[in-house]
Amino acid sequence: MRKNIFYIAAIVASSQLFVSCKKQLDVNPRDRILETGYYKTPAEALTSLISVYDVLGNQSSGYLTKVNILSAGSDDHFAGGDSPSDIGDLQTINNYTLTSTSGAASHLWGKGFTGVYRANVFLQKVNGAGLDEATKTRYIAEVKTLRAIYYFDLVRLFKNIPLLTDVVEPSAMFDVLQVPADQVYALIVKDLSEAIPNLPTTVPVASQGGRLTQGAAHAVLGKVYMWQQKWAEAAAEFALVNGPAPGASTYGYKLLPNFADLWNVKNKFNSESVLEIVYNTTSDMGWGTVGSREGNVMSILVGPRNYVPVNAALAPDYISGWSFLPFTKDFFDQIHFDPRNKATVANLDSLEKAGIVTYKHAYANTGYFIEKYAGRNSTKATTGQLELNFGQDMYEIRLADTYLLEAEALLKSGAGVGAGTKAYTMFNAVRARVGLNPLPVTMDNIMRERRLELAAEGHRWFDLVRWGLAPTVLAGKGFKAGRNEIFPIPERELANTKIVQSKEWGGTK
Amino acid sequence: MLCTCIVLIDEQQPVRLYHELTKLIHLKVISMRGRFTFVFFVYCILALPLALLAQDIPVTGKVTEQNGSPLPGVTVRLEGTTKAASTDANGVFSIQAPVGGKLNISLIGMTTQTVTVPAGGRINVALMAGSKDLTEVVVVGYGTQKKSVVTGSISSVKAKDLESMPINRVEQALQGRTSGLTIASGNGQPGTSSTVRVRGYTSFASGGNNDPLWVVDGVIVDNGGIGYLNQADIESIEVLKDAASQAIYGARAANGVIIVTTKKGKAGLISVNYNGFYGTSAPAKKLDLLNATQYATIRNESAANSGLSQPYANPAAFGAGTDWQDQVFNDDARRQTHEFSVSGGNDKFTIYSSMGYIKQDGIVASPISKWNRANVRINSTYKPAKWITFGENLGYSHSVNSSVGNTNSEFGGPLSSAINLDPITPVIETDPALIAKSPYTIANTLRNPDGFPYGISPIVGQEMSNPLAYIQTRLGNYSWDHNIVGNAFAEIEPIANLKFRSSLGTKVAFYGGDSYTPLFYLNSSSKNDKKSFYREINTVLNYNWENTLSYARNFGKHHAFIILGQGYYMDNNSRSLNTTYQNIIANSFYEANLNYDPGTANKLVGGGDGTLHVVNSLFTRVTYDYDEKYLFTGIMRRDGSSRFGTNNRFGYFPSFSLGWVPSKEAFWKENDIVNFLKIRGGYGVTGNDALGDFRYVSLVSSGRNYTFGTTDQSVIGWSPAALSNPDLKWEETRQTNIGFDATLFTDFTLSAEYFKKKTVGVLQTPDIPLYVGAAGGPTQNVGDMQNTGFEFELGYRKKIGEFNLGVNGNISFLKNKVTRLLPGKTFIEDNAQSFQTMGNFTRTGLGRSFNEYYGYDMLGIFQTQAEIDSYVGPAGTKLQPNAKPGDIKFANLNGDNEINSSDRTFLGSPIPKYTYGLTINLAYKNWDLVAFGNGVGGNQIFQGLRRLDVTYANWQTKILDRWTPANPSTSMPRIVESDPNGNYIKFSKLYLEKGDYFRLKTLQVGYTLPQNISKKIGAQKVRAYLMSENLWTITQYTGYDPEIGGTVLGVDRGVYPQARSFMIGLNVGF
Repeated sequence: MRKNIFYIAAIVASSQLFVSCKKQLDVNPRDRILETGYYKTPAEALTSLISVYDVLGNQSSGYLTKVNILSAGSDDHFAGGDSPSDIGDLQTINNYTLTSTSGAASHLWGKGFTGVYRANVFLQKVNGAGLDEATKTRYIAEVKTLRAIYYFDLVRLFKNIPLLTDVVEPSAMFDVLQVPADQVYALIVKDLSEAIPNLPTTVPVASQGGRLTQGAAHAVLGKVYMWQQKWAEAAAEFALVNGPAPGASTYGYKLLPNFADLWNVKNKFNSESVLEIVYNTTSDMGWGTVGSREGNVMSILVGPRNYVPVNAALAPDYISGWSFLPFTKDFFDQIHFDPRNKATVANLDSLEKAGIVTYKHAYANTGYFIEKYAGRNSTKATTGQLELNFGQDMYEIRLADTYLLEAEALLKSGAGVGAGTKAYTMFNAVRARVGLNPLPVTMDNIMRERRLELAAEGHRWFDLVRWGLAPTVLAGKGFKAGRNEIFPIPERELANTKIVQSKEWGGTK
Repeated sequence: MLCTCIVLIDEQQPVRLYHELTKLIHLKVISMRGRFTFVFFVYCILALPLALLAQDIPVTGKVTEQNGSPLPGVTVRLEGTTKAASTDANGVFSIQAPVGGKLNISLIGMTTQTVTVPAGGRINVALMAGSKDLTEVVVVGYGTQKKSVVTGSISSVKAKDLESMPINRVEQALQGRTSGLTIASGNGQPGTSSTVRVRGYTSFASGGNNDPLWVVDGVIVDNGGIGYLNQADIESIEVLKDAASQAIYGARAANGVIIVTTKKGKAGLISVNYNGFYGTSAPAKKLDLLNATQYATIRNESAANSGLSQPYANPAAFGAGTDWQDQVFNDDARRQTHEFSVSGGNDKFTIYSSMGYIKQDGIVASPISKWNRANVRINSTYKPAKWITFGENLGYSHSVNSSVGNTNSEFGGPLSSAINLDPITPVIETDPALIAKSPYTIANTLRNPDGFPYGISPIVGQEMSNPLAYIQTRLGNYSWDHNIVGNAFAEIEPIANLKFRSSLGTKVAFYGGDSYTPLFYLNSSSKNDKKSFYREINTVLNYNWENTLSYARNFGKHHAFIILGQGYYMDNNSRSLNTTYQNIIANSFYEANLNYDPGTANKLVGGGDGTLHVVNSLFTRVTYDYDEKYLFTGIMRRDGSSRFGTNNRFGYFPSFSLGWVPSKEAFWKENDIVNFLKIRGGYGVTGNDALGDFRYVSLVSSGRNYTFGTTDQSVIGWSPAALSNPDLKWEETRQTNIGFDATLFTDFTLSAEYFKKKTVGVLQTPDIPLYVGAAGGPTQNVGDMQNTGFEFELGYRKKIGEFNLGVNGNISFLKNKVTRLLPGKTFIEDNAQSFQTMGNFTRTGLGRSFNEYYGYDMLGIFQTQAEIDSYVGPAGTKLQPNAKPGDIKFANLNGDNEINSSDRTFLGSPIPKYTYGLTINLAYKNWDLVAFGNGVGGNQIFQGLRRLDVTYANWQTKILDRWTPANPSTSMPRIVESDPNGNYIKFSKLYLEKGDYFRLKTLQVGYTLPQNISKKIGAQKVRAYLMSENLWTITQYTGYDPEIGGTVLGVDRGVYPQARSFMIGLNVGF
């Protein structure tokens, strides 16, 4: 009897113990949210929109940015740094020894497609987020504009790219093909044209500065047409941005009276800013999170190395930086006697000769550093790793750029450029702002003006390539015609996929 | 269930026993917070009667070897009862037993004898040496098995092999001592874990994907957490190497299972043991680096070759300069270990308790490299009645660790700085003229106690900084941990041979760290202008609960055993908090604390929560043998894991193995050549779920932020972290194992194995093309990988007069090969290793082994311009137009017209082809000697000690053999600053060296006091010993140390080398 009871007890016990409960295996993902349950509310849709904007300010963990890569490749700068191997990816751009394993190519390529992916995710999910119609159309317009911006850079920099308008399924991941550049341009134009009517004309600067507006989208479209050499269309777009006369833009754009004010961090979203890449000082970027936070690394990169003020009263309050992208002597000679010199060039050479400061003559030193967005004690962050958290914004497009482009488009389209014409007034408005006398609108004058006005802002290399001058101007740096007009498709993209290297880089595409 | 039990009470009313038991169990029940299991046991026990006690008399006796020398530690057990005793150091035991009762007298390594208790109660027994290994008991997971009937492949390390060894972590106890393991210490920082691979790489990937499963007394402990164990507490370590043994641990067993069993008290006299040693450590080797004159000379030549002006007019003026290695190395780093244990018990209660303490200073930057650990352990069992046992095994450890930060990294740290800093810069700058100038005038430069600044190199910067100054920036910082790992169990045997066991295991850990960052300026890229104090605290509470029901039965010569079990496991139940106080007033670590409030704006806070990992399991094992001649084991386990989606959540892991002992067959004539032979083989399937959480579904991640407006604040953006893969399945490892165990010529034991292990559907998150745009790829079953190998273990034991000799050797051969990748893929570079500007230099290729070196093949050195001119491609153009005589000639493997990345090829494997170990034990009268060594062979090491991206970093003296017109070297290219040919920045064979080594790990000589002397001080045993660790290493490798752990073994970025130590020790038993 006793035994039987024990067996019963044992069986009851076992049957309870041996139940394997499936429910126990469903654990809470604590730190993250499943995609299947996301994008259900307006707030979640906004986070998705922001993720698309995020890519605009993208910097690599190795300090690469679109602006520093293209500047290093231009005739205005050397890569600089501490040694011939400091940020090797910039050095190989500087001397044109880059290959398909270049980190710079992979940064630019990866940045573009990250933006495209996030835009595609947004467009795929937005309908389920319960947004009101007005907000939804605005968000979609912003995302399409951003996607156009990312594709525009990709097609300019790589020419032969895949065109993805939806999220790629894992099963199709390795079967993606490239398309002719025309098709990419067609999508860019379509995205922008669809977006423009749904974008706001202006945004409240304090809370929404940096978000896309109609003016910004028109300016992007104008540039797209410039690259397609559709001069009349380009001029028309720029006219919408710039207005019928300087300072008469329907969007309220005006040149700032004082050129140097453009780089005062207190002047974010000023009247000259058309499309601004926004950074902040409070995201706590650390050495391990470079590239994933919101500080602008350019400010520390371009600062003079081992900078020491000797005469504290006279010395500028630069942060001791890493001496990247010193201006070339050639560039300095061009700007030396231009009114924009002081706001453009940090002339450590003369400061040192005057005994006001000392600094390290690092690799490829010329003594001429970038003034526009150099890090300063007065602008450094108040918390976190100070070197990495500068809140200096960068201009993707500003009004002086679109003024000069309109003049160029008109000139190329065969429109009149004499005194009193639209081209002439726009071109000379840029000069007049810094107190320079008018000059006739010629390609040479436009080219020189763009070089000095927009120095260090990432335009020079694009301009040289667009004008077809890169092979001659950059020959001394090692630029090879028929190769360096575009970047090589990163090696990683070719391995195990159907992507083919461009023929400029030894491929067949 | 409770109701059922209450019914039982009413029926039986065994009140007296009930009270006794509740008293005994009361504490336990409370401590388990009323776990109903225990209540269940208490009640069920009441249903069973008291055992009747027979009339006992005191029995005493002595157990000796055949030569008459006493045998301590022999177990004497009264048959049919649980009564047992063990012999003391003189071989004497005493036990209560009835006249005519049968005593089983057993000792591992000896043939067990049964004697009948005579009327006088005095017994003297001489035991015969048995064939040692085959009478041993082996832990097999949820139980033990006699080694003679084991059919799987299991290697054991026993306590005796570990006694008095200078072992700080359990991994070191295994290195070289068993076959089938590849173990490499991560680095020489005291207390550091090792990389452990059982039978090769089972999975791709980093992280924990290749780490074995550690099971300590039934509690699963992750690879990183195993460091809490005190080696002196270890009774045995068993490595389950084949799937037929591993399958009982199912979904987590594919990387091998290592079962650690801690010591238990034995019935008999109380024994007290102390072991301790004290010693000093020093680096075994220093690198030959250029002195200042040599450095300046090489720099001049390097500049001249680049067409630049020479930086140093008079190199000889610098003299020898600074030897930075002297600044970081400590030639007298002290270490000590103390272990104290008490064990004993009677037939109702046994206890083993111990304390341990280790303190060790590192040999690199000792002020910031030190470690200590204190341990306490209590293992006890209570056996209130014949059919019930309670017990617990509980270990606690507390360790404090100061680490140099970078232990195998080219990015800073004292060692990397010492290797790369120029020898021209002085350690301390004393020249007043220089001190008055930048950089010494910059705020926060650090000064020595005499007020002179530490030298700041104007030549080599970035992460490299004066190591003495660097030490000042980390002084006092430490991390700490408390670990409590243990289990409590109850086992009942309601009817003979049917056992029910319930065990609740837990791991509780608290860990964290305190660090203070002073104001400092080491160089322009290493500086801090804000004092801060950081504190981090983490807690972990993991547990598992296992219930097993087992039954053993003999029917004549048929022996059968079956176990059914159920388990629930939860880990990664962790949470953490950290805070940083900035701008505090403290001026050193010792002044810093959180009581000073720097204001809200200066308080940063962070934290995190672990994602639970839950496994739910059912398992069974059947073993059967006929007359210990025909053997069978079958296992089935079903695991569900929270790491897989609902479609593929459960996995089934079957295995079987068979054995045959021909030496027991009638036809096998007894002979002196093969005394025993067992042939065994098996097949099984195991799994691996160590892929991380939520890989089957895409997660949306934060951190995709941007800034809007003039708020100067980030707005929060989210986007999917990766693509999802709902089809994600288990990674399955299928293994076949064939082997034999033999005793030869009486004195030799030999085991040999062949195995083939294939992992199917290796789980991985492969790098996806960037054009897909997602931050991470979906985790996929991306390929198959196979490991095959042979393993041999040979033992020899002989006693010649008073001379005792024991030799144990083992060797394992391993071949790893990737047999399948996703369609169209010929290689993957995930988890590839990269080095500065070189980019990736390892790659996992189809048909190759895991992460082989991948780079340019070097055909030699161009000696003349004519050679360069004639080295042309199909188009007739020069392949290396930038080359000059003295540059490397790279192989043009793809046959095109230039040398580029597609000319790279596989250059060798970091995985050793073979690993081996050898232990020699010698004893003569009171003297004994242990020599233990281990080695590896057939692997390549990446020698990345020099910072290539720091153009002016110092060199090893082998650069003096570079090519020059006067020294037409054929192996070392010319030195040229701009390196247009990529001699040094392209990864080629130039960076690879043979990784073969043999290391005399331990050499120990001991002397045991004669008993008549030790007795005078009341001790049973007094032994003193001298010992050295890492006395010498045979290797051709030019770095510090050829033993380099990590995801990919053998990547030397300036690894913190292991120390050479000399120690003196004492072992006393009472």
